[in-house]
Amino acid sequence: MNVGYEGLTPGYEFPPASYELSASLISKYLKAVDSSSVEFVPPLAIAAYAMTAMAGSLSLPPGSIHVSQELEFFRLVPVGDVIDCQARVARKLTRGKLHMLVLELNVFDQNKEKVQSGKATVMLPALS
Amino acid sequence: MLAEISQGKPLPSITKHITQEKINLYAEASGDFNPIHVDESFAAQTPLGGTIAHGMLILAYISEMMTLAFGQSWLSQGKLSVRFKAPARPGDILTVSGEIDSIEDRNGVSYANCSLECHNQRDEAIVTGQAVVRLLGGES
Repeated sequence: MNVGYEGLTPGYEFPPASYELSASLISKYLKAVDSSSVEFVPPLAIAAYAMTAMAGSLSLPPGSIHVSQELEFFRLVPVGDVIDCQARVARKLTRGKLHMLVLELNVFDQNKEKVQSGKATVMLPALS
Repeated sequence: MLAEISQGKPLPSITKHITQEKINLYAEASGDFNPIHVDESFAAQTPLGGTIAHGMLILAYISEMMTLAFGQSWLSQGKLSVRFKAPARPGDILTVSGEIDSIEDRNGVSYANCSLECHNQRDEAIVTGQAVVRLLGGES
């Protein structure tokens, strides 16, 4: 079941999601970002799938936008690896009519080694 | 990769033309179908006045530049912190650039601290930020 903004509280953990970083998935990503073939999975592909996995269980108002992003990469990820994406709400901020969510992401490989972590800040349109 | 990694060295800039087709392709590839990116009639009714590119698409371009500059050091030991200052829209021509601000030694390991920027054809900043790369042997 998707959770809406009101239901999100700091510490809320999103259901984890797994992706196989198959050659076809990465090839589609590379075409979309106008890039050529690579030996290792681009870290921004991993971040994009982690964000999408989280968004899949979120029900934010349409028009929500990304205002800042932090990412840290810890190891090379070969094509074919399986990643496990975990995300939680770090903070919920309100400034007047503006509402923002700070979301923390952690991504592990199939050996439970951390491959990436990050923090995304998302601004929501004015809530009715 | 950069032949020499030193303070003040510019990173290899790259230019990308944003189109709605590219935004749609990215939505397909990432699974992010937020209507602010892909639904032109919805986006026209918002304060943004039209569709915008995914922030993660712009970061992919920044990461491409960092990979050109630092190779596997970036892919395995990179750190990025950015703010989205303005939206990138279909029709925009984006230039991603950066510079090595300093080389720092911490406990015998070298790190390159870089400033980053992505701006459009009107020289408006789209993304600004910093990156840190742990340099693997032989790079500094």
